[in-house]
Amino acid sequence: MARTGKTSRRVTDTTAYAAVPNTKSGAFGVLLLLGVVTFILIFTYLSLNLKNIDFGYEMQDLIKHRKSLVTEIDRLKSQKAVLLSLERVEKKVIDELGYQYPEPDQFIKVFEDQK
Amino acid sequence: MSLNNTERNRVFILFIFFSLWVLVIGASLVKTQVVDYGKHVSTVQSQSNRIIELQPKRGTIYDCNGEILAISVKAKSAFLDNKNEAESDLIYKRILKSRIRLTKAQKKQIKKRINQGYKFVWIKRKITDSEYEIFKTINKRTKGQSSLNFIEEYKRIYPHNRTASHILGGVGIDEQGLYGIEYSLDSILRGKGYQAKVEHDARNRIFRLQNLSEPENGRDIYLTIDSSVQFFVEKELKETVETFNAKSGTVIVMDSRTGAILAMAGYPDYSPAQLRKTDPAVLKNKAISFIYHPGSTFKVILAATALQNNICSPQQMFNCYNGSYKVLDRTIRDDHAYDRLSFEDVVIYSSNIGAAKISERLGKRRYYDGIRKFGFGSRMGIRLPGEEKGILHPLREWSGVSLPYLSHGYEISVTPLQMIRAFDTIASGGFLLQPHVLKDIDGVLLKKPERKRILSSGTTLRMTEIMKQVVIKGTGKKAQIEGITVAAKTGTTKKIPRRGAIVRKVKYVSSFGGFFPARNPRVTMFVVVDEPKGLFYGGDVAAPLYKSIAEKLMFYLKIFPELDNKNEIRL
Repeated sequence: MARTGKTSRRVTDTTAYAAVPNTKSGAFGVLLLLGVVTFILIFTYLSLNLKNIDFGYEMQDLIKHRKSLVTEIDRLKSQKAVLLSLERVEKKVIDELGYQYPEPDQFIKVFEDQK
Repeated sequence: MSLNNTERNRVFILFIFFSLWVLVIGASLVKTQVVDYGKHVSTVQSQSNRIIELQPKRGTIYDCNGEILAISVKAKSAFLDNKNEAESDLIYKRILKSRIRLTKAQKKQIKKRINQGYKFVWIKRKITDSEYEIFKTINKRTKGQSSLNFIEEYKRIYPHNRTASHILGGVGIDEQGLYGIEYSLDSILRGKGYQAKVEHDARNRIFRLQNLSEPENGRDIYLTIDSSVQFFVEKELKETVETFNAKSGTVIVMDSRTGAILAMAGYPDYSPAQLRKTDPAVLKNKAISFIYHPGSTFKVILAATALQNNICSPQQMFNCYNGSYKVLDRTIRDDHAYDRLSFEDVVIYSSNIGAAKISERLGKRRYYDGIRKFGFGSRMGIRLPGEEKGILHPLREWSGVSLPYLSHGYEISVTPLQMIRAFDTIASGGFLLQPHVLKDIDGVLLKKPERKRILSSGTTLRMTEIMKQVVIKGTGKKAQIEGITVAAKTGTTKKIPRRGAIVRKVKYVSSFGGFFPARNPRVTMFVVVDEPKGLFYGGDVAAPLYKSIAEKLMFYLKIFPELDNKNEIRL
C-alpha cells in the first residue's frame, strides 16, 4: 500500500514536472524580451546622448566659426573705413596723382533738358 | 550529473562568494548612485562645468551717411603667467630686446609685479597683429613654468584718426567712455556683460554653452555729423589757426532747416586713440565749452529784438557821435567814426555807439527778454558732455552801463553753439531750433526736436537783408562768394584780463557767423578764432575761413553758384 502510494505520488509529480518546462520557457522568453527591449532602450538612449554631445561639439565649432567671421567682418569694416578716410584719400590724390581742388569758376553746371 | 558532498560544498561556497561579490558591487553602486549622488555630481560639474564672463561688444558710431567713425574689434592682450620669477625675468628681458614698444611706466609696472610675485602680470593690452607674432616667437623660445598667454578683448578703433575727435571723445583701456559722445552715450554704447555656463570634456573642448543672463551688446548710433564736411572744416580751421598763430579755433556747421550739426570742429585737436597722451585742455570741445564775449556778432540779437519789438524801422537814423560816446563814467568807441547811421547801417558797419543808442530805445526789460528767448544763459542739452551755459546776469544785477555794453556783446558770455543757434533762428524763418548731433539709435530715428517761433517772418526777412549787406558792403566783405549770397555778421572782441593781471598785449577773439544761400538758407555756420596774432578783426581772420569752408561745402551739398552762362551746359 505504501508502495502503491509512493508510486501514485511519483505519477502525480511526473505530471507536475511535465508542466514546469513550459512555464519556465515562457518566463525566459519574457525575460529575454525585456532584456532585449532594455538593451535597445539603453543603446538608443546612449547613442542619442552621444549624438547630442556630438551636436554640442559641432554647434560650438560653428559658434566659434561664426564669432571669428564676425570678428573678421568687423576688422575688414574698420580697415575699409581707414582706407576710405578722406585724409588718406586726399593725400594720395594730391601727392601721388597730382590732382588739385577746383576753383569755383572751374565748375560747370550741366542741365538735362526736360523736353 | 550528480555531485558529491565535497563538490556541493564547493559550489555552495562559490555561490556564497559570488553572491557576496554581487552584493558588495550592488551596495557600492547604491552608495555611488544614491547615497553619494550629490557629492559626485558636484565633483563632475566642478571639473567639466565653468562659468565664463563674456564681454559685450561696444556699439559702433556712424556718421549720417553710414561711414564708421568708431568701431570695436577683437584684439589680443598679452599677460605673463608668473610661476617662476627667474624665468619670468628672462621672458621680460626678451620682450625688452624685441620690437615691442613699452612705455617707462609699463616697464616699471611689469618689473614690480614680477618681483612682488604676482601670478598674473599684464605685459601689453590690445596688441597689434605684428606684436602678437613677436610675442608668440618669444613664447616658443620659453621653456619652463612661466609663459606668455593671451586674452581676447575689444579694442576701439577710430578709422578717421583725428576727424571729429571732439565729438567722439574717446574711451579708456576697458572701453569705458571718457569724453565726448563716447561718454555721454556710454550707457547705450556699452551694452551689458553677461555670464554663460559651459560644459567641456577632458580636453577642454566645449560641448554645451548656456547663457545665464541675456546677452546685450552695445547699440549702434548714427550721428548727424557728415565726415566729409567735418574733414573739410577741420582742414581749413587748422590752416587758419596756424596762419594766424592763434591759440585755438572752432567751427560749427549746421543744417539751417533742421538744426542737425553737420560738423563741429576744434583745433588743436587730438587722436581719440591716444587719449592718455593728450593734454586735458585740448580734450575740451570748445564749440560747447568755450565761453567768450560775443562782441559785434551780438548786434544781430539786438537788431532782431529791436525789429521784433517794432521800436524802429531799418531806415531809422541814429546819432553815432563821431566815434566816441560817454555813458556814465565809461566811453564807448567805434573803430571808424560815424556821425549818423541808419539802423541797418549800424549793423552793416558794426557801430558800437549806434548799437548802444538802439539798446537805449529798446530798454532793459525788452532786451533782456529777447536775449533769453534766443536761449542765452541756459544749456540747450546737445547730449555732449561739458556744455557751458554762458553768463547772462539777471536783470536786477544790471548796472547803468550794462545795456549799452550788452548791445555790442560785452557783459555777457556765450558759447559758439549758442551763437550759431541764435543766427540759425534768422536762417530758419524765426524758429529757435534745437541743435543736435544724434540722428538715430540702432536704426530707430529719434523724435524730431521741438522748434519754437521767436521771431516773425517779417523780422527775419529784414534781418537777412541787413546781414546780406554786411557781406556785400560792410565788415564781412572777405566772406563774399561768387554766385552765392551770404548773410552774416563779423565780431571782434577784446579779451578782458583778469583783475590784477599784467597786460602786455591785448588779446582778441575773432568771430564770424552767418548762413547761405541767403534766399533759401541751407547751411548756417559759426567760426571763432581765439587770440589770432597780427590781424585780429573778425572780418580779416574769421570771414576768410568762413568763405573757404563755404566754397567747399556748397559743391559738396550741391548748392550751385549762380554764375555766368559760360559755366552752364544744357543737354
